[in-house]
Amino acid sequence: MKGSSKAAPWVFIGPTLLLLAVFSLLPILVAAGISLTDMDLAGLANYSNIEFVGIKNYIDVLTDPVFLKAILNTLFYVLIGVPLVVACSLGVALLINMGQSRIFRMFRVVYYMPSVTNVVAVAVVWLYLYNPGIGLFNYLLNSLGLGSVPWLTEPTVAKLSLILLALWRSIGLNMIIFIAALQGISKTYYEAAQLDGATTWQQMRYITVPMMRFAIFFVTITTMIGWLQFFEEPFIMTQGGPLDGTLSASLFIYQNGFQFSSFGFAAAGSFVLFFLIIIITLLQLKLQRKQAEE
Amino acid sequence: MRIKSGSAILIGVLMAGSLLAGCSSGEGESGGKTTLNVWAMGDSSKPMEEMAIAFSKENPDIAVKVQAIPWGSAHDKLVTAVASKKGPDVLQMGSTWMAEFGNAGALADLTDELGKYPELAPENFFEGTVNSNRYEGRAIGVPWLAETRVLFYRTDLLKSVGYESAPKTWEELEDASRKLTERGPGMYGFNVDVKEPTFSFMFARQNGSGLIQDGQAQFEQAPFREAVDYLDGFIQKGYSPVDLGLDMTQTFGGKGIVPMFISGPWVIKQVRDQVPDVEGKWATAVLPAKENNISSLGGSNLSVFEFSKNKDEALKFIAFLSRTDNQLKWMDATGELPASKKAWEDPKLSDDPNMKVVGEQLQQAEPMPIVGPWDRISQNYLKTFEQIFRTDGDHEKLLQEFNSMAQRLLDR
Repeated sequence: MKGSSKAAPWVFIGPTLLLLAVFSLLPILVAAGISLTDMDLAGLANYSNIEFVGIKNYIDVLTDPVFLKAILNTLFYVLIGVPLVVACSLGVALLINMGQSRIFRMFRVVYYMPSVTNVVAVAVVWLYLYNPGIGLFNYLLNSLGLGSVPWLTEPTVAKLSLILLALWRSIGLNMIIFIAALQGISKTYYEAAQLDGATTWQQMRYITVPMMRFAIFFVTITTMIGWLQFFEEPFIMTQGGPLDGTLSASLFIYQNGFQFSSFGFAAAGSFVLFFLIIIITLLQLKLQRKQAEE
Repeated sequence: MRIKSGSAILIGVLMAGSLLAGCSSGEGESGGKTTLNVWAMGDSSKPMEEMAIAFSKENPDIAVKVQAIPWGSAHDKLVTAVASKKGPDVLQMGSTWMAEFGNAGALADLTDELGKYPELAPENFFEGTVNSNRYEGRAIGVPWLAETRVLFYRTDLLKSVGYESAPKTWEELEDASRKLTERGPGMYGFNVDVKEPTFSFMFARQNGSGLIQDGQAQFEQAPFREAVDYLDGFIQKGYSPVDLGLDMTQTFGGKGIVPMFISGPWVIKQVRDQVPDVEGKWATAVLPAKENNISSLGGSNLSVFEFSKNKDEALKFIAFLSRTDNQLKWMDATGELPASKKAWEDPKLSDDPNMKVVGEQLQQAEPMPIVGPWDRISQNYLKTFEQIFRTDGDHEKLLQEFNSMAQRLLDR
């Protein structure tokens, strides 16, 4: 049974590797191939209709004003959304962690609820909230004597409205991660600091936040990757409108690939997005490492 | 133990594989009997199953298996079927998809087959529905269900502004809309549907635009531009709501915030069921005319899948469904309207005032141009029109851009 120890790890990771290869790596390779062809519905039906077009799809997608707009929108989502999500979920986690009574535990569930609710159902409710004529938000604003807000009908406001919805949805999960990290911090640090006369604010600034650096880093990276692929909210709420104002890169790819069957063009778009995500993530990893060294 | 678990995983994978393979549709014959697979679009497979049972009674050697596919996911399912070259034998196709799937070569060429069955002769059907089945001169389907857009209006409100009947011309439509809008703040005349991809094209046709002629896009020509200006005028002058966020049941009932709109025959039942307070105070009418009053024709067709192995039996089933009595049976079961002209002579359709209007409009209805990239062109048009009515962009320039974009798609 001596040789078995060498094979044992393979047995454990084998199935995962196999699934990863079949359902993840292989499709990526196939997509890379497709992105160099003019694959469309006719090509699907009969492979002889497919032509190799080199990097034409990449040139087309990078010069497509709609795609560039979608990329800019996506960066807008990331720049505003990610800091908001991290700050809000950290804030909620800190506040909820302050007490242990039943009400605090209840609120943990309340904040987590949106994360486990079906996004389509959520979107339907929010569509009513945002409704320009009979929506609750505008009704409240109007009854306070304020004017109506074009929640989903003005390009910039619509982007912010979608961010608000996504923020509301993503606080819960990240809050749980932060709470777990908070509870992992040893009480002895705080006791020592209190003996030295540190205020609550100082304890937070010099103990809590540094100790949570990895949790914050993790949440930032995953949230950012998620927001770079922002899709569900605009897909359900606005279909990219008004005037392509809420169109995200993922939605652009989806529309071209699955609505218009331009598979080659969409595959090229998805690779552009893929590399964008890798570059931004590497950049962040580097920044983080630099910070850790300081 | 280790070997055992290893082989268990292997078996698991193999089983999963065979299960997946089992998902693909079973083909061909079982015990001398041919099995036809039919995809009926819609939420319920029941009406089609009843048809299948009746068919099998007449043709004991053919069994029919029906699968219902909701319209919302039908397009994806069709793309998958084309990709795997495995699918049903008989397909119900939305008329707007004909060009796309015809171009992909997914629908069998029926040009020479139609003569075999008198039920399938083109003259049995409304001309527009036959046209929606022609792609590059070939017949790639048979008309089955037809619908076309008509004008819905509130008779009481129109009367209050001096219209005893529905507006008959573009001028009257605009005039009536202005008067209805002047009823007060928050009131409108006519709904310009900015999300409906056929809407502007329908009006452009009424103004004499050919949309696409001999492969050339006509969207920068005057007839098209005038139609767009006309529709944009309704929005700019406040006759038509934008971003109202209310649906028809809320705007058509009561005070009639939007007392005129254009939609399809399925709305007749909706108004009856969901806006009961306007009973007797609304009607339908054929569209107002400019040079003509051609409406947009929709509906669905029956096609044979190119990769089917039972093409003859498939056509037999289609011929069965096209019989007048079966078309009427289908209408009773689903409320969907037949494409066969004979069926419209039945008192159920000819005696109903709303259906009479729809039947009359069907004589003046054409499908959207049957070119491969049409879906894409019309989606792009919606974006262009959005820029026209939301911003002060130059109409001429925007339409020129749209035209050259459409031309590029057509030339591809």
